[in-house]
Amino acid sequence: MARLNLKNVNKRWGNYVAVKDFDLDIADQEFLVLLGPSGCGKSTTMRMIAGLEDVTEGEIWLGDRMVNDLEPKDRDISMVFQSYGLYPNLTVYENIRFPLRVRKVPKDKHDEMVMTAIRMVELEQFMHRRPAELSGGQRQRVALGRAIVRKPTVFLMDEPLSNLDAKLRVSTRAQIKNLQSKLKTTTVYVTHDQIEAMTLADRVVVMNKGEIQQVGTPTQIYDHPANTFVASFIGSPAMNLIPGTLRGGTFTGDGITVTGLTAPDGDMTLGFRAEDAEITESGGQIAAPVYAVELLGEASMISWRLGDALVSVKTAKDYRAETGQMVEASVPAAICHLFDTQTGKALPR
Amino acid sequence: MPHKTFLAFILPSLLAMLLFVALPIGSVVYQSLFIEHEQVMTEVETCGPFGCTTERKVDAAAMQELRDAQPAGRFNGLGTYFNSGHLAFDRIGQIWTRSETWGGFFNQVMNLPLYKALIFTLAYTFIVTPCVIVLGFFIALGVNAIPGLIKGPVIFFSLLPMIVTPLIGSLVLYWMIDSRGIIGAGLQALFNNPSLSLKASPTLTWITLFVYGIWHNAPFAFVVFYAGLQGVPQDTMESAMVDGASRWERIRFVTIPYLLPLATFVALMQLMDNFRVFEPIVGFSAEANATSLSYLIYSDLRGADTPLFASAAATSVLTTLGVIVLLTPVLIRTWRDFNRKA
Amino acid sequence: MARPTNAQPLPLMVLSLGFIALWLIAAAFPFVWTAWGSFKVEPDFFSRSDWTNAITGVQTIRQTGSAFTGAGYEGAWLEQEFWKSVINTAIVTLCVTVISLTFGTLGGYALARSGYRYTFWILIAALIFRAMPHVTLVSGYLLPFFELGIWGYLPTTIIVLVAINQPFTLWMLHSFFLSIPKDLDESAMVDGCTRFQAFRLAVIPVMWPGVVTTGLFSFLLAYNDFTVTSMLLTQENQTMVPKIASFLGSTQAEGKVMYAVAAVVSAIAPLFVLVLFFQRQIVSGLTAGAVKG
Repeated sequence: MARLNLKNVNKRWGNYVAVKDFDLDIADQEFLVLLGPSGCGKSTTMRMIAGLEDVTEGEIWLGDRMVNDLEPKDRDISMVFQSYGLYPNLTVYENIRFPLRVRKVPKDKHDEMVMTAIRMVELEQFMHRRPAELSGGQRQRVALGRAIVRKPTVFLMDEPLSNLDAKLRVSTRAQIKNLQSKLKTTTVYVTHDQIEAMTLADRVVVMNKGEIQQVGTPTQIYDHPANTFVASFIGSPAMNLIPGTLRGGTFTGDGITVTGLTAPDGDMTLGFRAEDAEITESGGQIAAPVYAVELLGEASMISWRLGDALVSVKTAKDYRAETGQMVEASVPAAICHLFDTQTGKALPR
Repeated sequence: MPHKTFLAFILPSLLAMLLFVALPIGSVVYQSLFIEHEQVMTEVETCGPFGCTTERKVDAAAMQELRDAQPAGRFNGLGTYFNSGHLAFDRIGQIWTRSETWGGFFNQVMNLPLYKALIFTLAYTFIVTPCVIVLGFFIALGVNAIPGLIKGPVIFFSLLPMIVTPLIGSLVLYWMIDSRGIIGAGLQALFNNPSLSLKASPTLTWITLFVYGIWHNAPFAFVVFYAGLQGVPQDTMESAMVDGASRWERIRFVTIPYLLPLATFVALMQLMDNFRVFEPIVGFSAEANATSLSYLIYSDLRGADTPLFASAAATSVLTTLGVIVLLTPVLIRTWRDFNRKA
Repeated sequence: MARPTNAQPLPLMVLSLGFIALWLIAAAFPFVWTAWGSFKVEPDFFSRSDWTNAITGVQTIRQTGSAFTGAGYEGAWLEQEFWKSVINTAIVTLCVTVISLTFGTLGGYALARSGYRYTFWILIAALIFRAMPHVTLVSGYLLPFFELGIWGYLPTTIIVLVAINQPFTLWMLHSFFLSIPKDLDESAMVDGCTRFQAFRLAVIPVMWPGVVTTGLFSFLLAYNDFTVTSMLLTQENQTMVPKIASFLGSTQAEGKVMYAVAAVVSAIAPLFVLVLFFQRQIVSGLTAGAVKG
């Protein structure tokens, strides 16, 4: 079975801690996304699973095998790299056949397996070309084909879409999702793009500075961010975060007062999503001169400067206001999240 | 990469370097502490019709035995370093007390073989290197501006002085500056002095060697700078134009800063190569007027009937120290860079 | 794309073209002159009376009846047995190049892919080794080689040249390997290769340009070496460069200088061809170290 267990995995280079106490069970057939900013340890975690980096501490179990000391080739995984790692001297067909050749799969099966993979990634017309003659998206599909050709127990994908342009990214994303649901292979996918994470994942692991911040389904992570880091990383635009204090259920920050909150007194950070708040004529919790008005097409975005924080609210696409004009927004307690300013952790609502 | 794999990959290379580069350095240090055996003399009596004479002769058999027992010679400590062929502190002391003026002191020190070689080597290194960088830079600018069609042939001919074997290149020039050669004869005609010879005076020999060094090394600097020029950021160049910089200002504020790291690289390579200047001295037969540290070692090993291992070794150790001093700034910088990255 | 702002004003253009022309003459003329002169007799090559003699070959016509003579070449190649040195040079340069590249690619790859700190120290040691004057190393070999009885043979010289060449080869190939994405060999390893297979099957096929360039420089080092070959080889095993040097001592007598001239031109000819065919690789090789370092 292709369950993947990481037990308290740590990676250190000298004093530098790249991954700290990474502990996670990945179920069979699950699509798991590791999400975080660059340098957060997500790629290192994946490379440890692949066997390209040594594990400093902890254990990695693939099914019922402890794979810490196995060479990458003996782990029965396949991996798609950010810059594809195609063999430039081989044709598309030979690139996809390469894993079969070096793994000594009987020769008579090669053609059938390679052709199946080529059909799945829709590269029939290009199979005799070399990588240099292909576009970025096609190269990416060769890498995918090479990964699926020998039906490994686990797929690893390291930012496979980040070298593609925005339009291609959307279509290749859909293709990956489709392939995974057909093949039902356990997949670990690394990205720094939260939209990729939300669209692809069964579960998302948000990482920062080598530590897991939150594990959950995309909805859980979007609706209930565990701390200010997750809140500010997920969503486009990210959640508005305003520092202030809570006294007797009333939150006061620079240019904003929200009443009716239930939480103990103290230094708090108030968060709410731009699409949850509304522009209002009067009685809003925010009343300040407009900093900028941006037209998004399907909506307009109004923003204010409250202290150091830039706060935005989404409104109807035909809403117009001048820079500097006083505009009010209603931010009811129901849409608000509260985070402890000291620890950054979310308070129960 | 695990340590074991790394070792397996690098072993042949590392072994070759340890055996034939690191070990010889150790061997040189060891040899420098010993000196050739004293000659073993025996008295041989030869009797002729007019009576007998006793002669003192070198006992070859006994010498051989000694050499076999102690191939490196007898222990001499640091003696070789301080003798008159090397650091010669005694002689310098004497010269110091005797000479009245700085000039006189300097002239006499210049007669000590090691100092003579050291001064030439340093002069060569520190005159040739900057000249090479400047000349190479201007050639690169010039070649960059010529039409694309003739660039290839121009680069081809420009490479020749560097690619050709140093000894052979210096021979080619040597024959041309011979008083019967085209340059030598041409100079005589130019200065209207039929006895003018570039080989006769020390100053002219030095200048000849410097010119050879610049001629031989300029192509290297040229190629590096030329390649660098292809990568000068066009955006910066164009924004400088838009800002109204003149041609010279563009070179001064865009091109040169961009090429500076390359210049450091060229300087480093040139310092290393020029410090071991050797072949041109052989090629130009210039040993009477100019010797370098490398040449000194060579002549110790080749000149005498039996190689003077100790003397050569001592000079080698001193040369190695020179190399390390020369490299220190580079090493310190590399170390800092490395720590910043890590 | 000639933009008007890039066009040089006329005086500057003339100056710069003149400078380049001057440099070209300085760079190429000595070789042309010597090559031409090698087909003359000595009184023409060293012409006291009139330098145009060297071009027209007045004395050569008087002595041999033709404006060109191969006497220098005949004397050098046959009488002085220069052909033997040519064969020795061929053996030495070929072996040095092949062995240097084998050792160098393995070592350079390891240095480029290992992230540990000791790679830095190995590279620094190599840099110091690179700076060592060769003759100081030779003075370290001579006595041990005499003692071991391996002095004078071609294999000894070959391995010594390989070792002396290693620091440079390592640095150069190291920087070439760094320019090849790590993804390539890592995907090969995930696909089922051992480290060595990944090196052989995935990396080496794309490394050829770097290997050729580095090979050129290994070749040049071995070909151009005087220090090592002149001190470590016996008379009969001599390669071209020390052989030419030995001509100088023995050929001061009239007529023999032309042997040396002919030998010199013979030794330059292969280099000429080399630059002709590999100009681009030489240029890229010289800059490879600079761009990275």
